[in-house]
Amino acid sequence: MAKRVTITVDGAAIDTYEGANVLETALEAGICIPNLCHIPGVSPIGACRVCIVEVVEGDRRRMTASCTLEAEDGMVVEAHSEAVLRARRNIVELILAEAPNSRAIQDLAARVGVTRSRYPLRNKDCILCGRCVRVCDEIWQSRSLGLVGRGGDRHVALPFDTRPDLCKRCNNCIQVCPMTITPCPGPMTEGGICALCASQVSMVEDIPDTCIMCELGRGFQCTRWQMVGLDARV
Amino acid sequence: MHRLQDPVALASFRDALQRERTRFETTVTMCAGTACRACGCLPVATAMAEEIERQGLAEKVGLRLTGCHGFCEQGPLVIIDPLGVFYCHLTEADVPDIVARTLKSGEVITDLLYTDPVCGEVVTRESDIPFYAAQDRCLLADNRRLSPTSIEDYIAVGGYSALAKVLTGLTPEAVIEEIAASGLRGRGGGGYPTGRKWAQARAATGQDRYVICNADEGDPGAYMDRSVLEGNPHSVLEGMLIGAYAIGAGKGYVYVRNEYPLAVTHIRRAIDDARECGLLGKGILGSDFDFDVMVARGGGAFVCGESTALMASLQGEVGEPRAKDIHTVERGYLDQPTCLNNVETWANVPQIIQKGAPWFAAKGTEKSKGTKIFALTGHVKNTGLVEVEMGTTLREIIYDIGGGAQDGKSIKAVQTGGPSGGCVPVSQFDLPVDYEALSAAGSMMGSGGMVVMDESACMVDVARYFMAFLKDESCGKCVPCRIGTDRMFEILTDFTEGRGTMEQLETLKDLAWTVSAGSLCALGKTAPNPVLSTLRYFQGEYEAHIKDRRCPAGVCKALVVGFVIDQDACVQCGACFEECPHGAVIEDDGYRIDQGLCEHCGLCVDACLSEAISKV
Repeated sequence: MAKRVTITVDGAAIDTYEGANVLETALEAGICIPNLCHIPGVSPIGACRVCIVEVVEGDRRRMTASCTLEAEDGMVVEAHSEAVLRARRNIVELILAEAPNSRAIQDLAARVGVTRSRYPLRNKDCILCGRCVRVCDEIWQSRSLGLVGRGGDRHVALPFDTRPDLCKRCNNCIQVCPMTITPCPGPMTEGGICALCASQVSMVEDIPDTCIMCELGRGFQCTRWQMVGLDARV
Repeated sequence: MHRLQDPVALASFRDALQRERTRFETTVTMCAGTACRACGCLPVATAMAEEIERQGLAEKVGLRLTGCHGFCEQGPLVIIDPLGVFYCHLTEADVPDIVARTLKSGEVITDLLYTDPVCGEVVTRESDIPFYAAQDRCLLADNRRLSPTSIEDYIAVGGYSALAKVLTGLTPEAVIEEIAASGLRGRGGGGYPTGRKWAQARAATGQDRYVICNADEGDPGAYMDRSVLEGNPHSVLEGMLIGAYAIGAGKGYVYVRNEYPLAVTHIRRAIDDARECGLLGKGILGSDFDFDVMVARGGGAFVCGESTALMASLQGEVGEPRAKDIHTVERGYLDQPTCLNNVETWANVPQIIQKGAPWFAAKGTEKSKGTKIFALTGHVKNTGLVEVEMGTTLREIIYDIGGGAQDGKSIKAVQTGGPSGGCVPVSQFDLPVDYEALSAAGSMMGSGGMVVMDESACMVDVARYFMAFLKDESCGKCVPCRIGTDRMFEILTDFTEGRGTMEQLETLKDLAWTVSAGSLCALGKTAPNPVLSTLRYFQGEYEAHIKDRRCPAGVCKALVVGFVIDQDACVQCGACFEECPHGAVIEDDGYRIDQGLCEHCGLCVDACLSEAISKV
């Protein structure tokens, strides 16, 4: 049986077991660390870097993704320090500029307090979070999707660009894709998110850990949604 | 070749080999490294062998083809011992003369000697050449003394004696203590203390343990590891053997780029020879230590030089890094404790064991010990591989060894540490090469690339070049590195093409911090260094590009308005007219440049004999 340990996230002591996923531990305890590429039950890869936190070891502060961080006894984690908030905002700004046409991305931006991007928008339809690839590989054991290429050439593809027989057409890849959530109908502002979503930002700025009932959390079983009694997306 | 049963057999084999080597009165040593091969040394070597035979000197003269000597721009080159005469830039036509005059009668051929570009003096002996004289060649010296394809050569110069010493008299703990006491730090860039890494790998729990040699060197302009692996593969093998004994590993891998065909051939040959001699395999030198090495070839991804990406690649997976919250010494290759070191680090190990930790620790600065090889390239007179003691200043390397700037220009900066290193300006040239000192200056030791730039380099363009490299070589897994480097490249392109704004400069700084703080692996964490270091020392150049729409060095084509010919200075030679590929130089009453046709390539400026063409 795994050893019980206590870690501290944003000042709250949480009892968990050694080697537990710090992001999931924090979410279960009601501390919202914004995240994108993480799916409960699927191995974490630390690709989107939205869930970054600081691990405090004495005077040293080390920034790392919480989804790939394993709990150790006495670990002190800060998920909303000034440096973390700044880095997280800038990272989400990069994601927003790549693919603003998704409610999940817009909610994420509003959650971390980003209303517009300083970079020219690109309107891509994939942000390479790798959720579909991992679900296909790990949940369905199908390996019908893979990430191909390096750097700017990286993209999701079928093996040799043909649908393999192993694909069960389960459509799980589409279910977990953050880009399939239709964008909010509110009016879009130039180079930013819609005005309606942006109106939530003032609330987030006042209370950094506040829940904005984001679509991503609703679709993907965020504990906050479960706590307020709203079921997961049907 | 016979199997060496124990250390005594190794020693007597060495004695026999050394007697054999004194058979020749004269030895002709010829560099056959990759650079010299590109200069055409192999036909010269063939001609030399034939000529020695033809003139009846085969009994007296030995010819040895070695690995890289470091002075690559002088190739093909030979050294004739025991005279110590150094001939450079040889062709096949020079060979009969060398054999007839120098080898037969000991006469020196003045035309083939090296002329020092700094003082113009002709130098006869290799040891008197300023490029070599100012160096401290602990690792590279052996490249000149042995043929990389001959295990006999390596054993004759004392090879594998450190292994014998370890197997007969030292416990693994004592070996780790010795390495720790020497102060050796990782030569791949990170500078992690090697002794500490070995101790952690030994202490970690796991079924099997592995050692890996990282020869996936991919920095533009750097080839230190390549030359060591090509020129002295057995020193790397011996280092790995000692490391494996120390941490208790049974298997090792050399991960080498497939773009280094000679290195692959030589390390494979070295492994086969060592196996045949009983220096690899079961019961090495009669002890109960078993170890074997395999060669894995990398497909050329820069990111596979990162330890976790390398191990993923070795396992047959996509070469992408993983989170390093758990170190590879605990869970590395196949989730087992793995000790990965750079080629140069492994090559240092046998010398430390042989000569003792105090010998190594006496060299260098307080925290950086021993010597380090740098690949000195760019706008300096002497380029090549340079091995210096840690703590040598950049000024000594660039001016004393490198000979300073070419063509009377002045040096502006040096880029150290490869693409993710930084640019150090000339005002900081008194910095010692030391892990901490270089980091404090905004650069890093890296694996040892050193690109010198003179006043003709535009620092914004330099930052853009390295960012282009990093954006292509980023694996694309994490957002800050994949999108961040791309956006930084986009902003730098705006600057060099005259669209930049001061707000973008602020965005660039903020983004650079984010990429460095948020990235998954060391590639992303150090990727902003070229931008940050040029911003720190050359902010004026950025502002000139943004505010004045002007490139002070005249490199950024979009910002160069045009070229004009000063009619008073023009000597009417027509060189610019000949050189211009766009037909923009018009010949009427004298020469003038048609601004409509001019593509701002600047070829006319280089061609002009009287410096009459200037940018406006």
